[in-house]
Amino acid sequence: MLIALPGIHARLGDTLAEAWSNLRSQGRRSALALLGIMIGTASIIAMLNGGHMAQRESLKLFAKLGVDMLQVGAAPTGDRPALLSQAVIDALPRTDPDVVEAVPLAGGRAPARAGGKTVDLAILAAPPALATLANLRLASGRHPAAVEDCALSAVLGDAAARALSGPAAAIGPGSKVLIGSYGYTVVGVLAPLTPETLDPVDYNMAVLTPLGCAARIIPHGGPTGLLVRLRPGADTQAASERITARLTTPDAKLTVLDARSILRTMQEQKAVHSRMLTGIGAVSLLVGGIGVMNVMLMSVMERQREIGLRAATGATPTDIRLLFLVEAVLLTIAGGTIGSALGAAIAWAIAHSSGWDFDLAPWTLALGPAAAGGMGLVFGLYPAISASRLNPIEALRAD
Amino acid sequence: MLRLEGVSKYYAAPDRAIAVLEDVTLSVDSGEFCALVGPSGSGKSTLLNLIGLLDQPSSGTLSIDGEMVGGCSAHESARLRNRLIGFVFQSFHLLPRLTAWQNVALPLQYRGVPRDRQREAAEAMLARVGLADRTGHLPGQLSGGQSQRVAIARALVGAPRLLLADEPTGSLDSNTARDVMALLAALNAELGVTIVMVTHDRDLAASCPRQIALRDGRVLGNGVGTC
Repeated sequence: MLIALPGIHARLGDTLAEAWSNLRSQGRRSALALLGIMIGTASIIAMLNGGHMAQRESLKLFAKLGVDMLQVGAAPTGDRPALLSQAVIDALPRTDPDVVEAVPLAGGRAPARAGGKTVDLAILAAPPALATLANLRLASGRHPAAVEDCALSAVLGDAAARALSGPAAAIGPGSKVLIGSYGYTVVGVLAPLTPETLDPVDYNMAVLTPLGCAARIIPHGGPTGLLVRLRPGADTQAASERITARLTTPDAKLTVLDARSILRTMQEQKAVHSRMLTGIGAVSLLVGGIGVMNVMLMSVMERQREIGLRAATGATPTDIRLLFLVEAVLLTIAGGTIGSALGAAIAWAIAHSSGWDFDLAPWTLALGPAAAGGMGLVFGLYPAISASRLNPIEALRAD
Repeated sequence: MLRLEGVSKYYAAPDRAIAVLEDVTLSVDSGEFCALVGPSGSGKSTLLNLIGLLDQPSSGTLSIDGEMVGGCSAHESARLRNRLIGFVFQSFHLLPRLTAWQNVALPLQYRGVPRDRQREAAEAMLARVGLADRTGHLPGQLSGGQSQRVAIARALVGAPRLLLADEPTGSLDSNTARDVMALLAALNAELGVTIVMVTHDRDLAASCPRQIALRDGRVLGNGVGTC
């Protein structure tokens, strides 16, 4: 047993106080022994927080849409347009158990004119459901209602509205805009949006119109893509295969963007770096641990008379073991704490240089000192045991 | 209160066992002040280590206060030392980083006494040895005589039954040595603590009420009763 029970509280308090004063008196040597522990903890903390921030950053790419989302696009295989069947798309939530919602999309480009200005805009024709599915917030106005399926109503992206606005007339709800050769009424303007991986267009420079009569401004007018929301936690790989199978036509080559797969690829690339940093951290901790063992062994050698005297006054082998073990653990916890702070600083530097938001996972800060303390326990055990096994008579006689 | 019967101590040499103590039978009554004398190599230190439970006899029995204490484990021996025995060494053995009172409090620390009570008891004992104004000093700031007084206070703070002193005046000049001897005699008289003191010095030994002489590992004369 490491710890004797009688009077353990009083004795542990004394042991802590003494261990601390012994470490302070060793000053520089203690600090040198800690270098390895510090570097090890720092690299592990930096790695964990770097990974943590990278994960947050990659999730940001799917903030509007979430990760249970597929984007399907169709490219023509020959001369005929790559049109998808809207009936099949509309039926997907009923026919596929994993599909919650499927929104058909048609896209194109057309010049838009207002107040003498002409801007080339991306056109995204989609049913009103897109607004809620893609979480498209409005700066002003409204989204077209379902009954306006064939109306000449348009919602403009933030940058598109500003590009069309002249010094005299700002473009907003109620403004008239000529798209292609049709006069559209602007019913809403989107709030500025951060582009994300699964966005079918850059919404900021787009005009959104109902799908019903989109053929007036884009070729063929039918859907050439769709956004699919899956049941949370659904197997995106399997779902994308089933959906592709249902939609496939000889005229179109389907490509599926799968949020989870994209995330996985990003994370796999990072895993290589993480493994490398973990390796460096582990080796440093090991070297640091051996350094601590070395310092503790030297300390035992130098303090033989003290050990003998303590034994003479009634310290049991357990008491002696505890004294040196507590010293080793305090030493490494101190190193781990400094290392954690260093690691947090490195994480900040990584965030700063990558343009990420700095964010620390709180548990990693506790992990640093804890892991280092664990090293102290492991590598302090041998010196502590050898101290407790000294013969008191010989120890008292040592110089 | 201290009884040794047929105690021998051998050390193993490559070809044979070397006897350091042979068949020592000895008893010391409660409150006695004994000098343990003999030439170098006569086994004085070994005997003192055996009595102090720092070493185990090869054969024979050892009892303190009626308790059989020979042959205990390291853990039990440490507990017994803490309760029954105080040590004073020639070279003081004060821990340099601890203040005088902290040095004195060590035996109490290993008894699990709360910190404030340790300090109280240590300061009271320091006052008893005439160092009331030195409780917060570090050993480096104390003279030899003061250091040995601190060590005596440490030996007695836990109210042990037995004080073992190994050449307690060996590192002191003669005036200081006389003071320390006077202190030991006074403490022996007042506290009734039994003292066994190893010494080379014939005059010092002569000042003790009882002398036990060792030669070649054997007690000269009758170890039982007064010489």
